[in-house]
Amino acid sequence: MEPLLRVRALHRRFGAKPVLRGLEFRLEPGDVLGLLGPNGAGKTTCLRVLSGNLAPSSGQVSIRGRAIAAAAARGQLGYLPERPPLYPEMRVDEYLHFCARLHRVPARAIGQAVDRVKRRCGLDQVGRRLLGKLSKGYQQRAGLAQALIHEPELVILDEPTDGLDPLQIREVRELIRDLAPSAGVIVSSHALAEVQAVCNRVIILRDGEVLHQGALPDADADNRFCVRLRHPPATAELTALSPIAVASPVFASGTSSETASAPSRFRIELADGASPDQLAAALVGSGWGLLELVPERTDLERVFFQSIDAEARP
Amino acid sequence: MIGTIARREWLAAFRTPLAWVLLAATQAVLAWILLRVLDGFTGAEPPARSAGLNLELSHNLFGSAAVLLLLIAPLLAARALSGELRDGTYQMLGAAPANLAEVLLGKFAALGALMLMLCLPPLALALALLGAAPIDPGLFLAAALGLWLAGLLFSAVGLFAASLSTQPAAATVIAYGLLILLSIVNRADHLAAEQLSLLDWLSWNQHLFWFLSGMVRVSDLAYYGLMTGLFLALAYRRLDNLRLG
Repeated sequence: MEPLLRVRALHRRFGAKPVLRGLEFRLEPGDVLGLLGPNGAGKTTCLRVLSGNLAPSSGQVSIRGRAIAAAAARGQLGYLPERPPLYPEMRVDEYLHFCARLHRVPARAIGQAVDRVKRRCGLDQVGRRLLGKLSKGYQQRAGLAQALIHEPELVILDEPTDGLDPLQIREVRELIRDLAPSAGVIVSSHALAEVQAVCNRVIILRDGEVLHQGALPDADADNRFCVRLRHPPATAELTALSPIAVASPVFASGTSSETASAPSRFRIELADGASPDQLAAALVGSGWGLLELVPERTDLERVFFQSIDAEARP
Repeated sequence: MIGTIARREWLAAFRTPLAWVLLAATQAVLAWILLRVLDGFTGAEPPARSAGLNLELSHNLFGSAAVLLLLIAPLLAARALSGELRDGTYQMLGAAPANLAEVLLGKFAALGALMLMLCLPPLALALALLGAAPIDPGLFLAAALGLWLAGLLFSAVGLFAASLSTQPAAATVIAYGLLILLSIVNRADHLAAEQLSLLDWLSWNQHLFWFLSGMVRVSDLAYYGLMTGLFLALAYRRLDNLRLG
């Protein structure tokens, strides 16, 4: 069977300026792919190409083997652009009925589809309200509802939690997790926490180029820590402790190993089978004055900054 | 799909004051013109007239209505297309399982229905005299048909202009420019040769004149069909180019 979404050698230029350079990936139902990158990396352009709003300069985008340019292929697509596509003069119910017809939901099933998506997106109470009069949070939900009303196999969400409050962000994350078993989801964001919370795969873009692509590092990995010591020893002494597999000094930004005084912070990777309490006990027992022991920042953050830094380095 | 998009456009026009204001203004202006025409046919000693009541009514009422449509159609078209391009709702249509022609024809169908609605006031005003004056309904039906065809052409020009800009105000001005050019293009014959039949043919008002005189000619139908199709094709091309970038 053809993959749900296949992107092959995707290039996109605006005039002479390349915006996407050689994107290549596949997506299957159950995948939640996070598209990460700094502003201007090409995320929104990528999503506009994937949604059929822009044609690729070269390369192919296909849904279940059919080119995205074919209207029939887009029947399996739900797309939420960066700004929710709402008509302020329409009521929520009217808008969702219109979206259902636009996505070719059979006339008999439209009422049910509207009720279902309103429940799913928390719009039950605002069906009679004008879209232009809704709060930003509800407008974002209405935008999500239009993307989901026809229960698409592929859902593309551009910054879906932008401008939402923490409670609404949590609701959207739950919604995305609910979608995942039956649909492939692509979420664009520049918020690492957002991607870490909902995605199982990640593509990091910069200047239209893929810097990193793969499964999301395990968010629950608990074998990396940062420690700060009052009387820091040599790195070799630290590594000699039995709970520690690898230790590396952390220099303050702007300094290097040649210019900095002895570092007081170290990045620690635990040895197999060692636990954080063993690490703490070993550090305290050594008498180096343990000031801090914190889990290291998420692996996604590490991967992201490593990718960006590696690219920035000449 | 065309019907779905057209229905939404129709709803949007009547949800906001725009369509109501346009209807009311059209009705008020045309009613005043009707009274002015009737003035010439009442009183103890009517002044000398160049044409009968039917032709006077047809040329004045429907001719003025055509000018009103020329002003109104670009506004509605800019709202329907430029506004969507600006507000980002066009992206939803682009990602839907509808092809570009369906989206464009949906919007054109809605504008066509609005133009038809705006053709009714002059027709109703003229036919209101039935029984009170020797009115020729066939003449007014021909004039209404010509007016509607002109409205369709103005809408197509408006959609083409709207595809050129994401700013509705700019799109409206572009459409006015094009329509004014199409209105006065035949005046060029005074500048050079005596007869420039092509420029005459290009001018929409030359063709409307025959409808207002009660004549439905195939050549005039073809003119409106061809010119409307041309501007819709240009709009399609432009929107497709936006996708291709």
